Amino acid sequence: MAYAYLFKYIIIGDTGVGKSCLLLQFTDKRFQPVHDLTIGVEFGARMITIDGKQIKLQIWDTAGQEAFRSITRSYYRGAAGALLVYDITRRDTFNHLTTWLEDARQHSNSNMVIMLIGNKSDLESRREVKKEEGEAFAREHGLVFMETSAKTAANVEEAFINTAKEIYEKIQEGVFDINNEANGIKIGPQHSAAGGAGGAGGAGAGGAAGGGCC
Amino acid sequence: MFRSRSWFGGAWGRPKNPHSLERLKYLHNILCKNTTVSESNRGTLVESLRCIAEILIWGDQNDSSVFDFFLEKNMLSYFLKIMRQKCGGSSYVCVQLLQTLNILFENIRNETSLYYLLSNNHVNSIIVHKFDFSDEEVMAYYISFLKTLSLKLNNHTIHFFYNEHTKDFPLYTEAIKFFNHSESMVRIAVRTLTLNVYRVQDASMLRFIRDRTAAPYFSNLVWFIGKHILELDACVRNDADHQSQQKLDDLVAEHLDHLHYINDILCLNIPDLNDVLTEHLLHKLLVPLYIYSLTSESTRRLQTSSPYNRDHIQSIEAIAKNLEAILKGKNSDHSPTRMTFPRQRMDIDDESKPSVSCVVALFLLSQVFLIITHGPIVHALAWIILQSDSSVFEDGATKILEMYISNAKSNVKLEFSKPQLSLEKALESSSGHERDYTTPEYGDPKRFGYDDKDTDQSSCDLDPELVSTSLPSTSHISESSSIANDSTEDLVTQIHSIKSDVTVKANMPDSPLPDSGIDSCSSKTTSEFNNITDEEKQKLLGVTSTVVLERAVPIEKILERENREIAKRPFLKTILDSLDCNENDYKALFALCLLFALINNKGVNTELLDTLLCPETEDQMLDSSKSSSSQTEVRSERNDQNTPTPSHSNQKMQSFNAFLIAKLMAIANLSCKPASKVRLVTLELSVTLVRIAMQGASGVAGARHITSAEALRSRAAALARNFYKCDDIFLDMFEDEYCEMSKRPLNVEWLCMDAAILLPPTRTPMSGIAFAKRLPSGEIERARRAIRTFFLIRDLYLKLTGKQETQLPLTNLAPFVQVGEVLDLNDSDLISCDIIQKDGTWQHRFLAVDNIQIILVEPDKQRLGWGVAKLVGSLQDLEIQGDKEDPRCLHLTIHKPRVGASGALPRTILLRAKFKFDDHIRSMAAKQRLTKGRTKSRQKKMQQIGRLLEVSGISAPAMAPRHNRPLFSRPGLTAIRRSTGTDGDETDRRLRRPSAHMLKDGIVVYRERTTSRERLVNELINLSVSRSSSAHGSRDGSPRSRSEEIPLEDIRRNVASTSATPVVAVTQSQPSTSMPLPKMAASSSEETSFISSESRPKRKGLIETI
Ligand SMILES: Nc1nc2c(ncn2[C@@H]2O[C@H](COP(=O)(O)OP(=O)(O)O)[C@@H](O)[C@H]2O)c(=O)[nH]1
Ligand SMILES: [Mg+2]
Repeated sequence: MAYAYLFKYIIIGDTGVGKSCLLLQFTDKRFQPVHDLTIGVEFGARMITIDGKQIKLQIWDTAGQEAFRSITRSYYRGAAGALLVYDITRRDTFNHLTTWLEDARQHSNSNMVIMLIGNKSDLESRREVKKEEGEAFAREHGLVFMETSAKTAANVEEAFINTAKEIYEKIQEGVFDINNEANGIKIGPQHSAAGGAGGAGGAGAGGAAGGGCC
Repeated sequence: MFRSRSWFGGAWGRPKNPHSLERLKYLHNILCKNTTVSESNRGTLVESLRCIAEILIWGDQNDSSVFDFFLEKNMLSYFLKIMRQKCGGSSYVCVQLLQTLNILFENIRNETSLYYLLSNNHVNSIIVHKFDFSDEEVMAYYISFLKTLSLKLNNHTIHFFYNEHTKDFPLYTEAIKFFNHSESMVRIAVRTLTLNVYRVQDASMLRFIRDRTAAPYFSNLVWFIGKHILELDACVRNDADHQSQQKLDDLVAEHLDHLHYINDILCLNIPDLNDVLTEHLLHKLLVPLYIYSLTSESTRRLQTSSPYNRDHIQSIEAIAKNLEAILKGKNSDHSPTRMTFPRQRMDIDDESKPSVSCVVALFLLSQVFLIITHGPIVHALAWIILQSDSSVFEDGATKILEMYISNAKSNVKLEFSKPQLSLEKALESSSGHERDYTTPEYGDPKRFGYDDKDTDQSSCDLDPELVSTSLPSTSHISESSSIANDSTEDLVTQIHSIKSDVTVKANMPDSPLPDSGIDSCSSKTTSEFNNITDEEKQKLLGVTSTVVLERAVPIEKILERENREIAKRPFLKTILDSLDCNENDYKALFALCLLFALINNKGVNTELLDTLLCPETEDQMLDSSKSSSSQTEVRSERNDQNTPTPSHSNQKMQSFNAFLIAKLMAIANLSCKPASKVRLVTLELSVTLVRIAMQGASGVAGARHITSAEALRSRAAALARNFYKCDDIFLDMFEDEYCEMSKRPLNVEWLCMDAAILLPPTRTPMSGIAFAKRLPSGEIERARRAIRTFFLIRDLYLKLTGKQETQLPLTNLAPFVQVGEVLDLNDSDLISCDIIQKDGTWQHRFLAVDNIQIILVEPDKQRLGWGVAKLVGSLQDLEIQGDKEDPRCLHLTIHKPRVGASGALPRTILLRAKFKFDDHIRSMAAKQRLTKGRTKSRQKKMQQIGRLLEVSGISAPAMAPRHNRPLFSRPGLTAIRRSTGTDGDETDRRLRRPSAHMLKDGIVVYRERTTSRERLVNELINLSVSRSSSAHGSRDGSPRSRSEEIPLEDIRRNVASTSATPVVAVTQSQPSTSMPLPKMAASSSEETSFISSESRPKRKGLIETI
């Protein structure tokens, strides 16, 4: 499918804060819990439109590989945007933000857009972290902030799309080197005839030998 | 694309409840009716697939009959049927299919449900299905699916994926085909999957992995890492102008990723896997490409010159050949011990052999030693670097070969070369059912000891101590230990046996290859090395000459010997030669990183490190006194065997401690030269290493070292003294640099992540490279560099002597008052004032000043004459300015006191406000007092610095009393004594005294330049200047005016008698600076905000624009 840009996101935060649910909620809205079933997934892609341009978002959940240092490192580097999620009903998940942020800042490219998300805003009665605290943290660290609910879908669209908008602005400003795919941004097939989406070189790992993609 | 729900009208009579068995039956019906995918039913199918996932998850938690039905109807087979159709636009369906599977496996909690899903092998069929992987979306969903599955692996579920009987493990084998995919996220997913597989620790599965896949996978992995670093090398070579910094960053980060991945595998401690990986890494990458590159440059350079060089080439070549033979483990036809290898042939070899530049090799090896701790790898590498010596190789090669051949035969050739089969081909051929997997490149699986019955025989050769140090916590998952049979282990064992002659004699057959050529050849080279290195030796000696004298064993002798020995060790020689910073420190930095990483790697045997860290003299004395008999014994033994006698083969390994120290001290000494090309980071690393090397194993540095460190310290002080000036800049710089340095101690791991250091050292700050990692640009940066150099070397000196740092950070002798403290202010000079803030709020306070602090107090309501401290700031950093409109007002900016090392930058502003006094006289008095206080507190610190830097005359009697007599005497602040007029006058007079003394380089520190008449004029001018030009008033540029102090009492008197006399504005009491200040310099960010928040350029602004 044709797109102008592809942005790769990662989604980070403690387990159980709702990363997988947010991801599925955004990429496949059908799982709106009219019923009491929340479903999550670890990868998803969706097309959005910004400024009249088709932009594909690919979201990679990093969960489950915390044990391996090599994996976390590389994930951060390959992303243009990151959603840093905590659970407003669990203060410990908020307290861990600093560590997550340090990690992200250390390993990511400096232009990566980070969006802070306080999830489960539907559980107002069990709230442990005030919205103001989230705002203050975001302000202090230069992040964009939003409270969401993967359950009611409140603000989920906005969270992902606003992040994309910010990345898009950075591209317009020329901050991102869009020719470097290591930044988590890819130009769509119609921009560069040569480097199309099909450059994967098929299934053959050996076949990609000359690609310098290592 | 997933949200097209409109088609689903409910027209087909679907059950109302979306979560029910009935609904699943209904969906099953849809699948049955739409077995052929077409444009028209695509949407229906996609929606059905999504619904199925949802119902199954619901069933998992609520109704087991749902899964029963799913299984009974074999619904996964429909999935397969759909994906196998080559219908247009099927990627749309495939993607949904994969996502449905993802959702299923991600959300199912019930173990039984999971088993149901996996039970009939459909999942494996889906895994091996050839999707259209050129579609990046399909690729992404596919690999995510595999990764999700891998997260579900455990000792039970593994059997659904790995078939022990058919030797089939599609989840793993299909995934690793994408290990080098162009999409980074795909590569990461593959890595995650492999690690998730390995950690299941199922013996049978791991055996499969090792026998059928490890060699092809690891050889390909290693090959691509190698290709990658060749690319990195090309990038460095072609980019002297820092143009492709971004690309270099990526390449370096990618290399780190590889190493971390390898380390993650190794840390899982799966012996069989680690053996194969270790072998491939060493034989195919680390030795032939990284280590070999350490010599190739010098080899190439040699084409031109002297006889020494020719021999050097040959020895390197011989070593490389021998090493190859050793690691290859083949007794090839040509003798590996031959020194006289034809040169021509070697040249050809050299061209065809890929290699990277020495700089890159050093950098990459540093990363290896910083990241990988697996004993067999790092120890073998360290041994090769430190010990491989031409004679050891001739001598040891045969022995190692014997050992090697008797136990195991490695078919992994020692060279960096492309695997003969692509990974995919190799895996295909391995999927056949023949037991033996014997492409020439991948070797015989038996070699790794699984089927060997006689493993015990060789394991007894292993020194238990060695094994424990070189194999950190190896946990075996299989009963049969294969360690002893592994090639690398053999190398390790061999290394050890070389060290200990007893072991060698006991275990080794006699050398079958007496070579008459070797003896003469090696002795010839030895003598030539002696000649050649005299010059170098002289240089080294010059450095340490002041130090050496009173030792029993003259340092010259030791250095000479070490120098001779080092010439035989090409790799170590390259590293130590790289430490030469006479031209620049480009290479030296990497050599230092490597040495640091090597010394700090916990996988490297400490005995081996002793060759660098243990003091030479002790060894030598030990050798000569104690072990002379054993040495002769060894010698005779060897003569019997007709083998050469390598001079190092006494009980102890040859130490290079003195040589290393000399090299490191040379760097430190160079750093103390004004125009030095040594970057701060290089110095810091040298200083760190020299301390370790001097302290040795005992942790205590010898007297000789302390003497030389002392000499070094005074050199560093002399360097910093060049910049010592009594102006605000120097003091602020001094304190800021100290603080900056204590805040950011050297982190070598981070340093080696920075691709910027791979490019030749630069000077310009516009490169964006941190100050410590480039050369200073301009006078101010040179001053900063000198100051830091001093700190680093002073720290070295103190640590070596075991002394505590007592003078840094510059301390204020008196403690600061705490906010809220109640003070006895009876009989103190207090000035009443109103503090008006920007927002218009105001408070009434009393201003008190002592010799270091400014205190704003509020009267204590309980006790008359006492007050509560409301704000405490440092006088040193106080900024004072008059008000243009209102002479009763002053503008003050009060900073938080710098206390201890935490005088963090940017300095915190406590208050910036307008202070309004009762009248202009009081305002003036306050200004005067504050200015004087500021000056004095700075002077005191300058004295401290002066003493640190040994500025001559700083502790001269004339200066001393002033220093000792504070403005207020203070037993705390509880009784601030009124300052008497005489006191002030006295101080004043001293300040005014011409105390001009010249420093070596001609910079004047104090100088009286004005006569009293001039002074008056100047003061008048200054008054007007400071009033009129305060908008852009750089007072530093204005004619100097000295402090003209009028104590409060005097002011009153003066005003009473001569009210017409203009009261002199008090400014800095220091003479003008001779340091040229740049008009405009890139200001640090905190200062930028500082300046812009208030457009009042002044001294402070300039000071900070560094
Ligand atoms: N009430 C509520 N629960 C949520 C929300 N998002 C996720 N959850 C629940 O939180 C738990 C963890 O969600 P998950 O997405 O798996 O978290 P992850 O570990 O971060 O991926 C699940 O039980 C979800 O049902 C939300 O917005 N509101
Ligand atoms: Mg999750």
